[in-house]
Amino acid sequence: METKIYILVVEDEPDVLDSIVRDITVFEKFFPIEMADSAEEARELIDSILEKDDQIGLILCDHVLPGDNGVELLVEMQNRAETEDTQKVLITGQAGLQETVRAVNEADLKHYIAKPWQKDELTKITKELLTDYVIDHVEAPLKYMQVLDGERIAEHIRTGRGITDR
Amino acid sequence: MSKLKWTGLILGVTGFLTPLVYTFPGLSLAGHFAMSIFLMAAVFWMFETIPIYSTSILVIFFQVILLSAEGFIDYSAAPYDPLPFNHFIATLADPIIILFLGGFVLADASVKYDFDKNLTRVLLKPFGSRTEYIILGLMVVTAILSAFMSNTATTAMMITVILPIIARMEPGDPARIGVVLCIPFAANIGGIATPIGTPPNAVVIAALNQQGLQVAFSSWMIYAAPLAVVMLFIAWKVLLRLYPPATDIISLTLDSKLKTSPNAIVLYATFAITVLLWITEGIHGIRSSIVALIPVAVLTLTSAFEKQDIRKLPWEVLWLIAGGIALGISMKETGLAEWMVGAISWDQFGYLMLLAVFGTVALLMSNFLSNTVTASLLIPLGISLAMSGIMEGQVFGMMMIGLVIALASSFAMVLPISTPPNAIAVSTGLLETKDMITSGLIIGVIGLVLIMLLSVIYWPYIL
Repeated sequence: METKIYILVVEDEPDVLDSIVRDITVFEKFFPIEMADSAEEARELIDSILEKDDQIGLILCDHVLPGDNGVELLVEMQNRAETEDTQKVLITGQAGLQETVRAVNEADLKHYIAKPWQKDELTKITKELLTDYVIDHVEAPLKYMQVLDGERIAEHIRTGRGITDR
Repeated sequence: MSKLKWTGLILGVTGFLTPLVYTFPGLSLAGHFAMSIFLMAAVFWMFETIPIYSTSILVIFFQVILLSAEGFIDYSAAPYDPLPFNHFIATLADPIIILFLGGFVLADASVKYDFDKNLTRVLLKPFGSRTEYIILGLMVVTAILSAFMSNTATTAMMITVILPIIARMEPGDPARIGVVLCIPFAANIGGIATPIGTPPNAVVIAALNQQGLQVAFSSWMIYAAPLAVVMLFIAWKVLLRLYPPATDIISLTLDSKLKTSPNAIVLYATFAITVLLWITEGIHGIRSSIVALIPVAVLTLTSAFEKQDIRKLPWEVLWLIAGGIALGISMKETGLAEWMVGAISWDQFGYLMLLAVFGTVALLMSNFLSNTVTASLLIPLGISLAMSGIMEGQVFGMMMIGLVIALASSFAMVLPISTPPNAIAVSTGLLETKDMITSGLIIGVIGLVLIMLLSVIYWPYIL
C-alpha cells in the first residue's frame, strides 16, 4: 500500500469542526481528513495513523479543548520524531500571547489562524503548507499536483530532477 | 509488490530459463545465453518489475558473467569468440553516453543559473499576445529547449510558465487544455531534432556506430529537424482545431533578468560554443562526443558546476542507455539477432513495408513502454534485417531503419504513461486523459505517415 498523508483537525465544537472540514474538502481526495474533539482522541488517531505507516502532513488545531489544550498537543507532536515534520496550525480565538509564543518556539507553529476565518484564507494556507510537506517528504509529488501549488511542484521537478526522460 | 510486477517477475525468470533448458535449432550456445538475457530484459522492461535502469544494469551484469571471455562459460569448443568483459562495461563510456553527459551538464548548469527560464521568457516575447501565437510560441520554445535538454526537465520548467497564463484565461476556455497539451507534445517532438534530444536517439546512434556508421550531430539534425519543424506546426494546428481559443488576447508578463554572475556568464559562453560546435560538426569534423567534453571540463574547472551538482546528474538515464547499447552488442555478436530475424521470411514484404512495420511497432510499443526501451529492443532486429541485405544497400538500410525506430518511438504520446512529459501535463489536473488520447493519437498517426513519406521523398536523396 502506498503511504497516505493525513490532515488532522482537532476542534471540540461540532459546528466549527464541520465548517473547517467543509472548507478544506477539496483536499480530501488526496489527503484523507481525520477529526478529533480532544487532545486525547487526537493522540489515539495519531497512533493509529502512524501504526499503518501513514503520515500526518498537516494538523489544524483549536487551542481550548477539554483536557489538554491544543498547544500542549502540538508541542508533544513536535517532540515525537514521526510527527515532528507535520505542519502545525492553530485555529483559535482564545490562545493568549504566552501560549502562542510557546507554540511558535516549541512546536514550530507554521500559522496562526484567528477565528472567525475566511474560507479562502484557510484553503490557501492548507494548500501552501501541504505543498511544503509534499515537496520535502514525497518522492513522486506528481500525483498531488492538481490540488496543491502546481507551479511549485513543477519547479521542484525542474530543479530536483525526481523525474527524468525514459 | 503489485500483481503486475509479480507476473513480470515470474515471466522474466521463465524467459531467462527457457533458452537454458530448451535448445532452439540453428542457434549457437552463446546465442541461447544472449536470448536468456534478451527475454529477461524485455519482460522486466515491459512489466517494470524492477526499475528500468536496473534491468539495464542486470543486462550488463549477465553479459559479463555469461558471454564475456572472463565469464563462467567455457566457449573454447564453440564457434563463438567471446568478447573481453570490458567490452560490455565500456558501454557506460560509449561516445554517445559521453555526448549525453555533456548535454546533462549543460542542462543542469542551465537550471542552476535559471538560464532555461530566462531564455524562455526572452524567446517568447516576439510571439506577442494573441492566444494562438502564444501557443505557437510556447511550442517553439519548448521544442528548441528539449532538443538540447531533457524533454522532462523542459516540460516541468514550461509548466511553471503556463500555469500563471492559464490562471488568467476564462475557466471555460477550451484553449486551456490546448495550452497544457502543447507543452508535452512540443517537448516530445523537439526531442527528435538532435542526437542528444532524447535517449532513444542515443540507443539508435550507438547501434549504428557499432556497425562502423558514424552519425554526425549535424547530419542527424538534417535528417530529423525538418520533421520536427513540420510536426510542431501540425501539432499546433491540431490543438487549435480541437481546442479553439475563446479569447483572442492573453496578457503576458514576462519578466526576464539573465543572471550576470561570473559563473552564469561562463555558462552562457560555454553553452553557445558547445551548441555551435555541435551543429557545425559537418563543417569542422570534430566529433560531437569530443565537443561534449568542453562543457564538462570548462564548467567544472570554473566551479560553475560543483561536486554536489555532479552528484545530482541523472546517472540512471546513462545506465539505461548503456544497457540498451549492451543488449544490442550481445544480440549481434552471438548471432541471436540474425537468428530471430531469420525466423520470418521477410522477402515477401517490400522494403517500405518493412519500414512501416518497424515504425508502427515502435509507435505502439513506446506508447506503453519507455521510449528508450522500445528503441533498445527493436534496433538490434532492425539492423540485422538491414545487414541481411533485404534493403537496398546495407548502410542505407541501417540508417533508414534506425531513423524510423528512433523517430517513431518519440511520436508516442497518447497516454499519460507514454512519456514523463505527458504524465506531468496530466498531473496538473487541467485536462483529462481522453483529451490526450484524442490529440495524441492524431499526432502520432500523422507523425508515422510523415516518417514514411520522408523515407520515400527525402532521406533516400540525402543519406
